[in-house]
Amino acid sequence: MSNLGFALEGAWKVLLAGLLLGAGLPALFALGIRSLAWGAGGDAEVSHARPNPLGTVLGYALFAIVILGVLLGITFIVASGFGKTISFDHIYPTIVDK
Amino acid sequence: MTETTVILVLVVVTALGFDFTNGFHDTANAMATSIATKALRPKTAVALSGVLNLIGAFLSVEVALTVSNAVVKIQNSDGTPKEALTADGGEALLLIILAGLIGGIVWNLLTWLLGLPSSSSHALFGGLIGATVAGLGWAGVNWNGDGSKLDGVVGKVILPAVLSPVIAGVVAAVGTWLIYRITVGVAKRFTENGFRWGQIGSASLVSLAHGTNDAQKTMGVITLALIAAGDWTDTKNIPFWVKASCALAIALGTYLGGWRIIRTLGKGLVEIAPPQGLAAESSSAAVILASSHLGFALSTTHVATGSILGSGVGKPGAQVRWRVAGRMVTAWLITLPAAGVVGALMWYLGDLIGGLAGAIAIFVVLLACAAGMYLRSRRTPVDHNNVNEEWDATTADTPREPAGTGV
Repeated sequence: MSNLGFALEGAWKVLLAGLLLGAGLPALFALGIRSLAWGAGGDAEVSHARPNPLGTVLGYALFAIVILGVLLGITFIVASGFGKTISFDHIYPTIVDK
Repeated sequence: MTETTVILVLVVVTALGFDFTNGFHDTANAMATSIATKALRPKTAVALSGVLNLIGAFLSVEVALTVSNAVVKIQNSDGTPKEALTADGGEALLLIILAGLIGGIVWNLLTWLLGLPSSSSHALFGGLIGATVAGLGWAGVNWNGDGSKLDGVVGKVILPAVLSPVIAGVVAAVGTWLIYRITVGVAKRFTENGFRWGQIGSASLVSLAHGTNDAQKTMGVITLALIAAGDWTDTKNIPFWVKASCALAIALGTYLGGWRIIRTLGKGLVEIAPPQGLAAESSSAAVILASSHLGFALSTTHVATGSILGSGVGKPGAQVRWRVAGRMVTAWLITLPAAGVVGALMWYLGDLIGGLAGAIAIFVVLLACAAGMYLRSRRTPVDHNNVNEEWDATTADTPREPAGTGV
């Protein structure tokens, strides 16, 4: 296979992972902010609706997912510094040798 | 001290100098958006980025000794220098490395002067390629690899440079669009505050990744020079002082901050709002980490620029200054050949004079170029005080400001 073939093969994987983590996590973060606004009510929303505590709970749950994603990123950086990488073979991430 | 030792010292000093320019050239990649949206004060942003680069550089335990193998054939596959180049005590190899590093630094300084975010890895590779072509001929360059994996100048440098900004741009555009869709109906002040925090977090991730990736390259180059000169033999480890000094050099460079480039990326391309900043930095972090996971070499600079452009495309009604983007792309295209030409010229000059005198001569040329460009930069200084001034107003007031001429 030529270099172009290898590059395109790598590129679509990077694009997929990028969309999932690079656009998906910010979208969850945005949902979290929207939920918090729903929870806070009043001036936080254009509609000035009444506060709803469910929104606050949901908001922090979404932030927790985002933080897990960020921790995964940090783990990967640290692991690759030590010559390890993260494997997704078992769906949940595990640290393995490169 | 022998002649070789003195040349070795020059190589080490020059390599650390390159690492330093690498740092301040790339501060913008992580922090331009946070500075532009005022999520962080400029000085705080560069300090945070500097510390994270320092930590990142120390985290890279793995040896990047074979870094040059992707583009030039001056090393064996285990990282030791080619025997033919070390026959005369290593001076032949040291001269190639020295000339290549000078090519990289000169180009990094020139693009900084013009406020253009060009890739530091391209500058380093360009310089090394140029010096190798001059010293060993065209056959000394690994143009296309051997077809078994993504390799060579085409596979490791050119194709990723074309693909990575597009990928990052698409991801950032999708992210920005989603964020704006999702937060419709939420009060602006409420969202902006939340997104500032997200932005700081994602920018920090980019800084950390930068420290682990880029400082390693210089560590590899210095260790290669030490092996060539016979002062180090272990190809599995690098001397601690090399790691410490490289980490410090890149962190100090980052802390100094390439304000001209920060200004171009943060204010020149797109007027960035906090949601866009979050989308851009998340996209950069995700693309950089995913690529290094898949062994797809790319430049942080190209990714960051693509992301910021994408965040402008994805926000409904946002203005993107395509002329500024065009100037950047031009700079990217000529980075590799331009650094190569400087590297080659330096090799010829050093070889013509010969030996220690030759190495000292090209080192002096480097110092003269650096001093000249620094003095030129003082005429239109950009620092933490004016980094966020309005892009268009600056053009009107000071038409000679190079960073503004593309508008």
